Amino acid sequence: MNNFFKLVYNEITKIYIRKSTWAMYIILAAIIIGVGFLSNIDELSSKQYSDDNWRETLEEENQELTEEIENAGEDGVFYDYNSRLVEENNYYLENDIQPDGYGAMQFVLENQLLLSVVSLLTIIIAAGIVANEFRWGTIKLLLIRPITRTKALLSKYVAVILFAFFTLLFVLVFSYIIGLIFFGFGSLNPHMLVTDGNGLQYVSVISEIIPAYGFKLVNLVMMATFAFAISTIFRNSALAIGLAIFLMMAGNQIVLFFSDRDWAKYILFANTDLSQYTAGSSPMIEGMTLGFSITVLVVYYVLFMAVAWAFFKIRDVAGQ
Amino acid sequence: MSNVAMELQDVRKSIGKKEIIKGLTFSIYKGEVFGFIGPNGAGKTTTIRMMVGLMQLSHGDVLIRGKSIKHDFKNAIREVGAIVENPEMYPFMTGWQNLMHYARMIPGISKERIQEVIKLVGLEKAIKEKVGKYSLGMRQRLGIAQALLHKPSVLILDEPTNGLDPAGIREIRQYIRRLAEEENVAVIISSHLLSEIELMCDRIGIIKNGELIATQTVQDSTTSETKNITQVSMQVTPMDRAIEVLKTDHTLDAKSQDEALIFQTEKEKIPDIVRSLVQQDVAIYQVNSTKSSLEDKFFDLIGENTIE
Ligand SMILES: Nc1ncnc2c1ncn2[C@@H]1O[C@H](COP(=O)(O)OP(=O)(O)O)[C@@H](O)[C@H]1O
Ligand SMILES: [Mg+2]
Repeated sequence: MNNFFKLVYNEITKIYIRKSTWAMYIILAAIIIGVGFLSNIDELSSKQYSDDNWRETLEEENQELTEEIENAGEDGVFYDYNSRLVEENNYYLENDIQPDGYGAMQFVLENQLLLSVVSLLTIIIAAGIVANEFRWGTIKLLLIRPITRTKALLSKYVAVILFAFFTLLFVLVFSYIIGLIFFGFGSLNPHMLVTDGNGLQYVSVISEIIPAYGFKLVNLVMMATFAFAISTIFRNSALAIGLAIFLMMAGNQIVLFFSDRDWAKYILFANTDLSQYTAGSSPMIEGMTLGFSITVLVVYYVLFMAVAWAFFKIRDVAGQ
Repeated sequence: MSNVAMELQDVRKSIGKKEIIKGLTFSIYKGEVFGFIGPNGAGKTTTIRMMVGLMQLSHGDVLIRGKSIKHDFKNAIREVGAIVENPEMYPFMTGWQNLMHYARMIPGISKERIQEVIKLVGLEKAIKEKVGKYSLGMRQRLGIAQALLHKPSVLILDEPTNGLDPAGIREIRQYIRRLAEEENVAVIISSHLLSEIELMCDRIGIIKNGELIATQTVQDSTTSETKNITQVSMQVTPMDRAIEVLKTDHTLDAKSQDEALIFQTEKEKIPDIVRSLVQQDVAIYQVNSTKSSLEDKFFDLIGENTIE
């Protein structure tokens, strides 16, 4: 076990010692700062309701919004958005809850969108971790150690998953810090309104962050594993990156395109978004259940890993 | 335990329909430096890849200290240190980081041991530099350092003299001889140039088109008792008298070629020949001797440097 830990340590070192990895983090940081900056300009998110006049503030806001809605009519671009705000404001007023201002925690929640960037970076790492060793020629020296090929491959896979985890952690922590700088702490346990099957619900932001990020992790892990398998089989990182990113982007379209076939529900991408089973949502294809999706995901996962392992295990390591 | 460090048993390799290695059977002994010689494309690298488990054997087996590379990979490979083809390392890491990387993969390698091998290959000054900046010669040294970390009993070096200057080759020769003689390591060293490794080998195997066509013991010139014919070339004046002296005093058939006196004799006789030339008032400016027999034999066996 100790031995395996050292192998993973080696792989992590090789990832983080390279400048290209640091460039990824710099880009990620720049995006987070940029989003923070833009949200700061947007007056709604910076609106605070901290003083005793919060009821008046809400009513004023409602008046403005209603006017806007009436002027623009039902076809207005912001119709949905504005009516939703009015609805929320009314909820606060009716239930006599002082709304929490926009703070660091809310910013972290909004940055769940950045998980697609984390997925992208993880795919790049996953696609390179085996293929690069072949490209550099270092695979030869790596595989003539008293370590089975299975262990060598597994250590690389674990390093990819750890990279995803560290990067996710970075997004969370850095978003929180930037959130603090731009929007302040907010309240200790901020709450917000969400819609579920029974209309508006008043919930804790933290309890929203966990599933929001969690559901996206499923897709991340599946696509990283896919890229890892492709690059292990073809020893070509560009191919693996291209294919994985294409499928990640086009996944939903593929499912929609084939949605009238009865095998459509077996497509990986029909199952990667598990939030389709939460209250207030409906499954992509009728008749799908959470249990079904988890089974499909496990089958794909095992398939990717098994094929990668089989190729890596028997491969002759010859010239490029 | 027997004296055999590594044994190849009818090793064959086919890729597609083509048989690249056609049944190699030979042994390498402890403390021996074995030269694996053959023209480019003869199958040296392929054989070495099979020896270290990078390629699967189509037939036969490789035993390293009795352990099969096929069935007992971990224990067999533990005995081996190797460079296969070019000594490729991670270019974005320093020499030290590269060695640490490999040290972590084998239990029981201390920092002192790493320092020891760095010193052995003479990389102390460059070890904190990125390998990307290394010359080919420096990478060869780092490659050898990496192969020696775990004190292997078999050291396999594929064309280690590639990219080295004569001084570098001499240096490699010195520590390879020391490893064999002092630490009883069996060294397998491949090359397509006989002249580059002849001096460091105890025995030479010649491979051509995937077949071992000859093995030959190399006489160590300092302890040689057998007849050891060398080719001698001398710069002398006057040439005529020198040829005359060699004929009458030593019954040698010398000829003049490119203003040099050329003849073949046993190495031990050279001092006598020089003495008699001096006594006959022949002025000697230079004496060169080259061991030619093995090289000639090599070229006889190999023929042209062609594949198939
Ligand atoms: N992966 C491969 N597929 C097909 N032929 C190969 C492969 N690798 C090597 N060969 C062939 O095997 C022969 C031996 O190659 P190699 O072992 O590299 O020779 P050497 O190291 O002696 O120069 C060559 O003819 C080469 O073309
Ligand atoms: Mg070769």
